[in-house]
Amino acid sequence: MRRALLAGLVFAAAFAALAFLALPIVAIFTHVSPGKLASQLSNPVVTDALVVSLKTTLVAQALILALGTPAAYVLAGRRFRGRSVLVTLVELPLVLPPAVAGIGLLVAFGRVGLLHTGLPFTQSAVTVAVAFVASPLYMRQAIAAFEAVDPNLVAASRTLGAGPVKTFFRVVLPLARGGLAAGEALAFARGLGEFGATIMFAGSLRGVTQTLPLAVYAEFNVAGGFTIALAISALLVLVSAALLITIKLVLQWQPSRRTSPSRFALSTSG
Amino acid sequence: MRIFALLIACLVALAAAATAAARTRATITVYAAASLTDVFPQIDSTPKYSFGGSNTLAAQIQLGAPADVFASANTTLPQQLFQKGLCSQPVVFTRNTLVLIVPKSNPAGIHSVYDLTKSGIKLDVAATAVPVGSYTRQILKNMALTSVLGNVVSNETDVREVLAKVALGEADAGFVYSTDAKTVPGQVTVLTMPAWAQPKVQYGICVVKASANATAAQAFVNEVMSKTGQAKLLAAGFLPRVKPKK
Repeated sequence: MRRALLAGLVFAAAFAALAFLALPIVAIFTHVSPGKLASQLSNPVVTDALVVSLKTTLVAQALILALGTPAAYVLAGRRFRGRSVLVTLVELPLVLPPAVAGIGLLVAFGRVGLLHTGLPFTQSAVTVAVAFVASPLYMRQAIAAFEAVDPNLVAASRTLGAGPVKTFFRVVLPLARGGLAAGEALAFARGLGEFGATIMFAGSLRGVTQTLPLAVYAEFNVAGGFTIALAISALLVLVSAALLITIKLVLQWQPSRRTSPSRFALSTSG
Repeated sequence: MRIFALLIACLVALAAAATAAARTRATITVYAAASLTDVFPQIDSTPKYSFGGSNTLAAQIQLGAPADVFASANTTLPQQLFQKGLCSQPVVFTRNTLVLIVPKSNPAGIHSVYDLTKSGIKLDVAATAVPVGSYTRQILKNMALTSVLGNVVSNETDVREVLAKVALGEADAGFVYSTDAKTVPGQVTVLTMPAWAQPKVQYGICVVKASANATAAQAFVNEVMSKTGQAKLLAAGFLPRVKPKK
């Protein structure tokens, strides 16, 4: 009897949690008819924001991959004094409030900031903001993926005559591929949704710095813009869901899990 | 385990702070234009305030936000709410003027509004839907200077964002209310705009119909309209609600 009651409570709690999470998503799609939503997507505000979002996100992801991969490899392969401090630094943007990231970027790259660049208000500023907030998601996953590569395989490759570069591209990278791809998809999704740091650091100008999330906010503030804001939201929900599903699929055929199960994700710090 | 204890200690501290804050008597919530950020708490420090772009606040009230009073930087938005039956008939409680501000360092060398026509200037303004953004476009239209809108680098969501970005020196110039410029003395240089070009900047206030504290809300409106309320507004640089006859 008590066991049945407990089971009932657990199911009720589970139902409440799932309903709570699903409700806002459902509401976005049901507030107005799907046809009306879809028709808003051809609005120039939406297409302009889409172009800005795609451009800045793609450049930011290229930067994250090009710079984040070597950084993650270095952090994963070596044990040194201060390593955990560096790993914490890498992960920090993940938990920082976006407004703090925005202020930080302003005083670092602003005209009156540390580096005196003219970056604020440019499209490059959007890219920088996206790269700053999204890179930890990729780098965390990349560090874990590199750590999971069996060091015996790396050692074997080296004793068989392959140099460190060849070993990296022929052995390490293929083994870590799944984890890297999953991290990249997460970073992509986070970058696409970036709002707070962007609006503070890059401002909001249609066709230049107004990304999709910024357009949601701008249209919400315009009389009669609510439906457009809803349509962009629906679009972002669909894209984000697609990215999450991609991650799940990628992780399922990730080869590195099978090569060396005993060594998987063995991490001594971090 | 120790980390867990630390986490719990943090939560307890937060909860204690929250209950201490909630112990004060039930208060009304005032949704007010960002330009009123400094002066409204001086008039009455008891209400909870939500400052922002008047258009954002109006949109939130339409969606059922728990506001008791709405104070807007124009009369159109409260009038629209009134027509929809969402708030009482708005009254004008103060007026303001528009100014052009540049950072103290004046990196772009702007000494008059006509310098804004120089190419490559970073002009920061509020979005058209924000009252101050609409006034900005009106004043430029009155002066036949709408071409300078080509130098706009960002459409901000309220006047204080324009103020912050110019005060910080990131934007070369921006349009704000004269009262906003007064809140950052020493950080910006104010370039006054000619009286003949000024738009009619009137602030409207109304009691939200859905308010559960309509009496307290009306009392707040009365306070703003009172002699002391008006004196505080004047001291902050706002103009008398009725234009004095010459």
